[in-house]
Amino acid sequence: MSNSTDKTNPAEQPQQKPQVLEEDDEFEDFPVEDWSQEDAEQSAANGGNEHLWEESWDDDDAAEDFSKQLKEELKKVEAST
Amino acid sequence: MAPQTPILDKFLGSVAELVQSRDGGKLQDFLQIEPPLSEIYQRMIEELRQRYQPGPRSDAELQQRCETLVPRTKGSSSWSAFPTFMRLYFSFLRDVNVENLLETYNMLRALLNQCVLALGDSQNGVVVLPTVLYLSKVLAKLAMGLDRQPELIAHILRMEGGADREDNAEKVTLVEQSANVVREAFIKCLTDRSGTPGPNGKPEGKRMGIYLMANLCLKLLFKCGKLRNAEQMFASISAQSPPLMHFPASQRVTYLYYLGRYLFANNLFYPAHIALQAAYEQCHRQAFKQRNLILTYLIPCNIIMGRFPSKALLQRPEAQGLAEQFEPLCRLIVRGDYLAFREYLSYESQQGQWFARKGILLTLRNRCEILVWRSFCRKVFIHGGFLGDPQAQGARGPPPFLYLHKLLVATNWLQTRSKMSLTNGTNHAPYTSAFGSQIISHPTDPDYIGLKDRLNISTNGTNDDHKLMEKYGDYLAPTAFFDEGGYLENNASGELIDGVPDSDYSDYSLDPYAEENILESQSALLMGELESILASLLTQGLIRGYLTHRNPRFAIPGARLRGALPTGFPNVWETIGTRESEDDSVPGWVKPAPAMLGGSALAGIGGRVVNLSGARPVGLQ
Repeated sequence: MSNSTDKTNPAEQPQQKPQVLEEDDEFEDFPVEDWSQEDAEQSAANGGNEHLWEESWDDDDAAEDFSKQLKEELKKVEAST
Repeated sequence: MAPQTPILDKFLGSVAELVQSRDGGKLQDFLQIEPPLSEIYQRMIEELRQRYQPGPRSDAELQQRCETLVPRTKGSSSWSAFPTFMRLYFSFLRDVNVENLLETYNMLRALLNQCVLALGDSQNGVVVLPTVLYLSKVLAKLAMGLDRQPELIAHILRMEGGADREDNAEKVTLVEQSANVVREAFIKCLTDRSGTPGPNGKPEGKRMGIYLMANLCLKLLFKCGKLRNAEQMFASISAQSPPLMHFPASQRVTYLYYLGRYLFANNLFYPAHIALQAAYEQCHRQAFKQRNLILTYLIPCNIIMGRFPSKALLQRPEAQGLAEQFEPLCRLIVRGDYLAFREYLSYESQQGQWFARKGILLTLRNRCEILVWRSFCRKVFIHGGFLGDPQAQGARGPPPFLYLHKLLVATNWLQTRSKMSLTNGTNHAPYTSAFGSQIISHPTDPDYIGLKDRLNISTNGTNDDHKLMEKYGDYLAPTAFFDEGGYLENNASGELIDGVPDSDYSDYSLDPYAEENILESQSALLMGELESILASLLTQGLIRGYLTHRNPRFAIPGARLRGALPTGFPNVWETIGTRESEDDSVPGWVKPAPAMLGGSALAGIGGRVVNLSGARPVGLQ
């Protein structure tokens, strides 16, 4: 092991305060202890009823660039066989 | 005469009153430790330093004074852990040097340990519950700060471990150490037997602290990457905790967030999405930061199961910063370009770094690529498959199918396309890696770099031989060697001592990759991989039909009614959701027992959680 750490005495180092725990990855404590479900829900005016998840996302748009190129490519095979 | 201690006297008097009135909240308020302390504390510390200088005798005296804090019932001190805790508290105030963070940490840990012991008392423990929580939070903060300063940690680990402690002993970080202390407190809360314990009980007594302590412990375990240690906690909660719904919203949301992340990390995406969704729905709508973090895990959880965040969700204020990470990912899944997908989630990419920091990079890579392949197969089927004959009457006529040869051509096209984009449009052939996967090209392992030239061995063999002898001559053709009998043989002429490969071993094939037509074998290799991918899609229910191996095809029978696409490529979320929702219980989330079961019905089984959702009355079919 390197002995560089042996030589450094923490007391002699310039004191660093421990960083405050405000990384954005930290799940912070809530400022209030309890609230009602009404306080949690989005009001209807604020988009409370909108749908949040897309369950049908398959892309059937043949005009989309990727699909168009793929189609061309597959046509070439058809033509050559 | 010993110096007077008027402030300390008054302080002790107040503490005694608070203990008697069992006012835990106010007691915690009294037991401040974090600087800056108000002036009255400074003066009390001065008194302590003058009257009780550090030493065994003053410790004993101080202890004696603290003994009076707890009521003496029938001659014996009823709660001996508390006076000791108070004495440690005073010593802490008197001795702590916040310039030395390590020492502070150790003193604080000892103080918290003693407080947890005091918490263990069945009668009075609950009085120190707020104090335990307070000290735990300060300790956690300190430990997390210290773990960010490795040079200080090395110091303490060496001091504690001594010289005999080697690197093979698992190092316990300060954060993990603190998690262990907090877990002790959690257990004390969970196992409080007063009132009505168990899943039918209410949060009363120390049980009020179950989720406060659990959440703090989970925070620390996540921080030090020891999620595995949380497993026992969740199991104990499942077995012994009152229903989560009886606890305050802040505790519920925090707990469900950590539970969801734990389940996510264990690839249990369906229960994870239930927990995270509940956390999101119960979270205060103005708590943007928390809602943002919950979404950071709820969204990938859903993507993996085939449910993408809607525009409306990504436009919510709390979703700030998430759209730019997840929207391109969803687009790549829809498009079906596995190479662009891999590039997006490579560690080198900016997004890859972001996903890695959130701890979801590998999960997304491993779980989403199959969805990419499903999209790709689907598109190749649309543009190159036989979609069935809509005119055909009855059940005659072949089912819709796709020649996998087309998938192979399309894969080659993708590879060419990707190379072109990487080299600014110069045309390239598809991958021709002679070994390993044809789906992806890996940089060659330096150990196998010579294999690249396999095709050229016969033409420049002599040249290679020279190089080999230069490098390994002392081993292949040493000047002397021991024969089978153990006798030393001279080899002055420098023969290959194991014989000449071409003549002596001509009967054996030494080349594991000896195949006649390299190009044909490469497309066969690729076909094998594509068949594996399709088989994987089939077994996961993400495509429906069957595969034929000879003349490789994917066929979709029974498509007459609904059409080839919905039959062969069913909706991902419907498929996964239907399969998983058969069991929508979430391990670790205690819900109230069904109303039909009274408390007495559960009393007999020791408060264990038993899933009775499928139970039927005796005698019924």
